[in-house]
Amino acid sequence: MLENAWTIPLFPLVAFFLLLFGRKSWGEKAAAWVGSLAAFASLAVSAGVLAERLSGAENSLLSFSWLTLGETVIRFGIEVDPLNALMLLIVSLISFLVHVYSYGYMKGDGRVPVFYAYLSLFTFSMLGLVVSANLLQLYIFWELVGVCSFLLIGFWYFKPEAKQAAKKAFVVTRIGDIGLFLALLLAFWYTGSLELGPIFAAVEAGQVPAEMVTLIAVLIFVGAIGKSGQFPLHTWLPDAMEGPTPVSALIHAATMVAAGVYLVARTFPLFEASPVALDTVAYVGAFTAIFAASIGLVQNDIKRVLAYSTVSQLGYMMLALGSAGYAAGAFHLMTHAFFKALLFLAAGAVIVALHHQQDIRKMGGLWSTHPGIGWLFLIGCLAISGIPPFSGFFSKDEVLASAWMDGRPGVFAVGVVAAFFTAFYMFRLFFLVFTGSFRGEGNRGSVPKSMLWPMGILAVPAVAAGFVEYPTPFFSRWLTEGTGLAAEAGGTVPLWLPVLATLASLAGVALAWAMYVKRVLPADDLTKPIPWGYRLLKNKYFIDEIYAKGVVLPYRWLGAFLRGFDRFVVSGLVRFSAGIFRTVGRIGSAIQNGQAQTYALVSLVGLVLLIIGLTAGRLFG
Amino acid sequence: MPVSSYLALGAILFCVGLYGVLTKRNAVMVLFSIELMLNAANINLVAFSKYGLYANQTGQVFTLFTITVAAAEAAVGIAILFALYRNRSTAEADRFQSLKG
Amino acid sequence: MEKYLLDYNWTVMAPELIIAGAAALLSIIDLLMKEKQDKRVLASLGFVAVLGALYFTVSRFGQQPYEILGDTYRIDDFGLVFKTLLLTGTALVLAVSLQEAKRKEITAQGEYYYLLLTALLGGMILTSSADLITLFVGLELLSISSYILAGIRKRRTDSNEAAWKYVVLGGVSSAFILYGMSFVYGLAGTTNLYTAQERMAEAMGNGMESFVYLSLFLMLFGFGFKVASAPFHMWVPDVYQGAPTPVTTFLAVVSKTAAFALMIRVILGGYLFLFNSRTAEGLELLTTALLVLAGLSMVIGNTVALRQFNNKRLMAYSSIAHAGYTLVPLATLGPMLFESTVYYLTAYLLMTLGAFTVIGIVERNAGTGDISAFAGLSRRSPLTAAAMTIFLISLSGIPVTAGFFGKFYILINAVATQHFWIAAIMLATTVVSYFYYFGIVRMMYFRPPVLEGKVKVPPASALVIAVAMIGTVVLGITPQWALEQLGEVNWAAALSPLNGGAPPAQ
Repeated sequence: MLENAWTIPLFPLVAFFLLLFGRKSWGEKAAAWVGSLAAFASLAVSAGVLAERLSGAENSLLSFSWLTLGETVIRFGIEVDPLNALMLLIVSLISFLVHVYSYGYMKGDGRVPVFYAYLSLFTFSMLGLVVSANLLQLYIFWELVGVCSFLLIGFWYFKPEAKQAAKKAFVVTRIGDIGLFLALLLAFWYTGSLELGPIFAAVEAGQVPAEMVTLIAVLIFVGAIGKSGQFPLHTWLPDAMEGPTPVSALIHAATMVAAGVYLVARTFPLFEASPVALDTVAYVGAFTAIFAASIGLVQNDIKRVLAYSTVSQLGYMMLALGSAGYAAGAFHLMTHAFFKALLFLAAGAVIVALHHQQDIRKMGGLWSTHPGIGWLFLIGCLAISGIPPFSGFFSKDEVLASAWMDGRPGVFAVGVVAAFFTAFYMFRLFFLVFTGSFRGEGNRGSVPKSMLWPMGILAVPAVAAGFVEYPTPFFSRWLTEGTGLAAEAGGTVPLWLPVLATLASLAGVALAWAMYVKRVLPADDLTKPIPWGYRLLKNKYFIDEIYAKGVVLPYRWLGAFLRGFDRFVVSGLVRFSAGIFRTVGRIGSAIQNGQAQTYALVSLVGLVLLIIGLTAGRLFG
Repeated sequence: MPVSSYLALGAILFCVGLYGVLTKRNAVMVLFSIELMLNAANINLVAFSKYGLYANQTGQVFTLFTITVAAAEAAVGIAILFALYRNRSTAEADRFQSLKG
Repeated sequence: MEKYLLDYNWTVMAPELIIAGAAALLSIIDLLMKEKQDKRVLASLGFVAVLGALYFTVSRFGQQPYEILGDTYRIDDFGLVFKTLLLTGTALVLAVSLQEAKRKEITAQGEYYYLLLTALLGGMILTSSADLITLFVGLELLSISSYILAGIRKRRTDSNEAAWKYVVLGGVSSAFILYGMSFVYGLAGTTNLYTAQERMAEAMGNGMESFVYLSLFLMLFGFGFKVASAPFHMWVPDVYQGAPTPVTTFLAVVSKTAAFALMIRVILGGYLFLFNSRTAEGLELLTTALLVLAGLSMVIGNTVALRQFNNKRLMAYSSIAHAGYTLVPLATLGPMLFESTVYYLTAYLLMTLGAFTVIGIVERNAGTGDISAFAGLSRRSPLTAAAMTIFLISLSGIPVTAGFFGKFYILINAVATQHFWIAAIMLATTVVSYFYYFGIVRMMYFRPPVLEGKVKVPPASALVIAVAMIGTVVLGITPQWALEQLGEVNWAAALSPLNGGAPPAQ
């Protein structure tokens, strides 16, 4: 099977061309079949490849000469090592399920064939990214997935927000891409190669100055920041939710946004060689994890809650990678792909059932009418909250363990708090949507079968994927085999660690339950209390007052501060740099006053300044 | 070295021409000023052909070429100005500013 | 040894002679034709002539460099590569013009065709000259023909105004070049570039260095003007907007390519010693000067483009930015100087020509030059919209297109010579450029059409768009093929004199 791995990305590419040329003549059903079949073919081959990898085949590398730059030959090829094989399976599985699901979701849209064409193109690009053997090829696919993301976010271009979001996503991720591209150029210049193996070898042999390794690694991480929505380039990801929900599930939860994490994992030897780069990854990841989780607490749009949760979970993965937890990061990447895709698809089902209502304040009581979706959503929530024995518990535990064992108690503490937040806002979402009474208007519709069974399939790994690592760490050993990376942190993980993590999550669930089901605590939609010791004060009157002064106010400040920070500092920086360019543009445009004589004067002054600038440098230098 | 006085003459002529291009409102004067600049270069060439580091005839030949070219350029410039004058009824250089921004 | 005219091997000049002959022939036929007659037959004649010249140019590749007419004119691989680009560009422009002329937009059709040929001839002379006199004459032939072409729609004020600005600023830049050349002659006593280089190197040592630099900077004004780099770019937006679209295409593609050939030839042929000087001072000075021009062009071109609503004006600023990118390999004297410059110019030729052709079609259909003319193009003509998207993607340097690899090779030059800041400016301004390129994409795909009905694409334009699109994509997928072809070219021949450095016979 391994030698056939090159066919995996080709199926969706063929489907893309078929769909593109047949978009006029084909109906929705035919288009859905073509897209889904191609994705299924990729899935089948990927499964075969993974099976063969599991039985311990050699790394396979298939390539042919592509470019020559001076003495160097850049080869275009594919590579299948354990990490690639794993990613192949994840991407093709979720892509296939999303293809099937979309048939129900997009029914009656009118441009379904085009939608499937974009989806196939994305699948092709993502699979191509995953198997790329060299950085340039990876970069090309990296850009392609960005273009597909742009097309799919803006699929409903008649919505102005969608248009805006598509543009924002494209440009913001491009800022990160610059970092990646610079890293690529620097790596090429210092090691003379763009293939990962030789680059790692050169770094290991000390051919590259230490500070250059750091610079390259950090620049690669900048690329990952853009793609994976890490702070401060995270702003595009919540906005990207304007796209159709299956797109959010596939691209903006499970696969493309995880590409940043994948990239860091793929180039991990570079990071290992530079403590500074590792620190950067760990701290940015930790900060993003807590930062996005705290914003997630106060969102009211079902998809935006999930989006902030995605940002936060990606931060988790980065945190793990930064703490030298290569296997832990990849493990969480895998489980997250399953449960987050499940959550998004379930959210999509909710949205369909409620006729495209996305505000959770206008939902409620769905359990009585849609228990199936309720169960699936609950599984997703339990998994993401890290309740044993769901998959999220194991991967989150590994992430926290690697942070602890790497000697980063601060990062570890942030991780635990983020886990608490995650459990809280996920169950807040769950309770608001599925319990209580229905707060919206109109009737609740039914959900097509073709949407339900992909979720059912996803629920299986969301529950059980954790057991690849337990009771024996089979997964991490397999993943690190032959890479020279440590499978797990040295020493034994203290027993209290999983207990503490579980307790934090349970506390989050309990708090959400108390606030939204039992309503012991007032649940103001805009401000959520941090209820230290609320059990001590049973008297509700007292609570309200103390709570209002002591908890709500500071919390409101914190919330306002964080949101303000996001809006003014982060967006402000973006706007500031945009403003610089706009100002330069305005000046340039103002000088262009239409008079030939001014033009000549500007040219002359330019020349004189150039001469003066250069000769003055010579005189004084 | 006598060449420096010729060079000075050339430089002055060039600057006068440049000044004219930048400041004259009459479009015909602008074209004439360009001719001055070209002729400043011609003075340089002829001076160098007599007093340069390697004095020879090539400079004068070059000058013959540039005079011809300058004439062609002036003719085209005047023709374009005619067309413009027909449409705009003005020959003031600073009025031709509809394209900008 | 005295050589007479007929002793030379005149076949090497076949392309130039064909074009010159065709231009003369066209002007005579035009005189004999009636005023109202359809003159598209002239275009076909011109097209055939260009193809013929292209054939002779391509068949010369790989042969020994040859100098003719007292070493003033040299046929080497460097010139041939550029000539191929110029001829291809002109052939495509002529094909598009067939349609444009039918619109009665251009009343003086005969003049239009033969002036296009004389401008092309000027460009060809520029690429092959080894002597200041021929360089200057070639430059002026190209320029003067372009002035008239820009104003060929003589009843329209915007066309007149464009021509006026072009002629005034072009005249000033010619004067600067000539003034600079006069100092070269003064220092070297010859107009032959390669001899001048040696004598100027001596003069450098004899305390004349300020004159050497003066000559270089004066000429830089003219070069900057011709390649449309900031701060000498001011004429570009106005002229591009005012000139008829095929002429704008010609200026953006052919004229700019010729100007790059001129710039590389003069700087590397005439001032190579600056790069070799032991103090490295000269190198630094020249590199810094050129990099400042390049960086300024990128910044100004890309930022001012953000404020544009007219298609051709927007493309004009985009072309300024591209001039900045293309300058980088020459400025840094990078390891892939010639290959990456020519690769980028080829990519630029294809994508710009394609984009301008689409712009021409869309403008004609909508009757406006505004970006809004593109609204809903994806539904009115999906293939045209797809082609335009590819051109824009290529212009913004996203894979898998020629523009991406063009930028990639340029960046290799910048990084290899450790000029990281120019690489950073290039990448940052590239991001800015996404805004305006994708503004057009959004117009085409995300806006409902204003007008009803399909957009008619004339067959000749469709062919040009197809050629440009296929070229853009193929160069983007297999850049190696093009690079290998370019790698086989004997670039070094452009740098050294043929006669071993002996002064030319007087």
